[in-house]
Amino acid sequence: MIAPLLSARGVAMRFGRVAAVRDATLSIAPGESIGIVGESGSGKSTLARILAGLQPPSQGEVLFRGQPVYAGSIAYPGPLRRQVQMVFQDPYGSLNPRMTALAAVAEACRFHERCSAAEANIRSLDLLARMGIGPDDARKKPRLLSGGQRQRASVARALSASPALLIADEPTSAIDQSAQAQLLNLFHGLLGQGLSIILISHDLAVIRYLARRVHVMRDGEIVETGDTADVFDHPQHPYTQALIASIPGRRPKENRP
Amino acid sequence: MSLLDIADLTIGIPRGRATPLVIVENASLRLQPGEMLGLIGESGSGKTMLCRSLIGTLRRRGAAILSGRITLAGTDLAHTDEHAWRDIRGRRVGYVPQSALAGPNPVMTIAAQLREAILQGTPGTDVPARARELLDLVQIRRPERVLDQYPHQLSGGMRQRVMIACAIAGTPELLVADEPTTGLDVTVQAGIMQLLRDIRARLGTAIILVSHDLALVDDVCDRILVMHAGACVESVPANAAPRHPYTIALNRSRIELAEPGAPLLTIAGQPPSVGDWPPGCRFAARCSIAQPDCGLGPHPPLRGEAHANACLHPERAA
Repeated sequence: MIAPLLSARGVAMRFGRVAAVRDATLSIAPGESIGIVGESGSGKSTLARILAGLQPPSQGEVLFRGQPVYAGSIAYPGPLRRQVQMVFQDPYGSLNPRMTALAAVAEACRFHERCSAAEANIRSLDLLARMGIGPDDARKKPRLLSGGQRQRASVARALSASPALLIADEPTSAIDQSAQAQLLNLFHGLLGQGLSIILISHDLAVIRYLARRVHVMRDGEIVETGDTADVFDHPQHPYTQALIASIPGRRPKENRP
Repeated sequence: MSLLDIADLTIGIPRGRATPLVIVENASLRLQPGEMLGLIGESGSGKTMLCRSLIGTLRRRGAAILSGRITLAGTDLAHTDEHAWRDIRGRRVGYVPQSALAGPNPVMTIAAQLREAILQGTPGTDVPARARELLDLVQIRRPERVLDQYPHQLSGGMRQRVMIACAIAGTPELLVADEPTTGLDVTVQAGIMQLLRDIRARLGTAIILVSHDLALVDDVCDRILVMHAGACVESVPANAAPRHPYTIALNRSRIELAEPGAPLLTIAGQPPSVGDWPPGCRFAARCSIAQPDCGLGPHPPLRGEAHANACLHPERAA
């Protein structure tokens, strides 16, 4: 068996009297994609933040390449930090409105690569182009970009650190359908290049498309885990069954009577 | 006879002596009593403005009807003043706002909001009895408890049920629901959709459901009107295959139908922005079958009755 890139064992998170995450155990191998699916308040975003090093858990352990993430005073110390990057739901909120897409990516590039401004610009333009954002759009501020372009600029910024793992929290929720398809195509290409992706979503169609394995969360607990195709074809837990039955339109229009 | 008849409706923002900024151009739509229509399009396609014209709130966004007709069962809605709108809004046309943005008034109890809606919709009613009846209609189980609560004490799904109760308080002939489940969970969304269908079945209300989710409207509506850059491009029955290249592309980019990992089809480019529309068909620059004549003249109108299409070359689209 391949050593996991990231693993979490018995992770729990309490906020006062609320148990946001209870006894969560999962792992992701290099180049693998896993999905965490659940409704609002199920604890999936809290779990994502714990895995990303943004929120120390109340209990349990997170290991990255076998090393504890929360051992010292800061999570993902030293060279580990850049290997895990996160993309958030609202690309407008995560990009500085006063910086162009290019400047936002170049800033991250300079931070991670410690390169000159000129070199950072070249690298950033290349990254943005790989995300389908040409040099003209790259020089626009976020408000002049479409939602899909903003989200792809956030992904470009996350990739500027050359991470091994990308954690994406509801990356497709705020964008139009055809922009979703573009973003998912990009993610799929990145998986082919060896990146691991943890995809958090309430949209089961997105999870089904991209994640090889899926964890279904409810009330802070992982209630079902399995290969995505199995879980979708034969959901075991009643909650998973209800979720899958609620997906609108899994029949193509052409197959209607 | 149609319940609602919109013909060549153009909506825009007047700019003094300059030509107005057109947002919706020559929209046409007919709705039968009790029909459920899905209205879809990308952000900025004009679907929300079209809805606003049906509840008389264009002016609040600085917009106005520039030309065209809107007739609701014999009543002209295109030339209605604010005073007359008060007898139409809530009584003949109900409105359910987007859950995430405009919700209920946060400082009023549910009972107070319902009271306002009931008195607007059907003056002189026994308010407490009607409020219970409405909460029962929207399938809220313990109405007496909900009545004393404030919106923040309710879940998103419950709040939206209350908004639907307010919207149907006056038993309107037409209910306009503008992305009523955006931001709600998928199981809650399924419940709200079932509720809208139940209301249609029990009260015979015609419903316009606005969404950017083709899969959703295809599931619950009788017919779908597709908008792109301020123009209606196709009116397609829910059980028919789409014929306009834009609808075809939207249908093919549906993630829930794709093989996991197979490349998803995408639509090239962005829709042109308001004020920057090219001549001819506004989808032409993104269209894989566009012909030279697609970029000429005004935007092509919808042609056809049961299944109307604005594409100039429908025989090439497949």
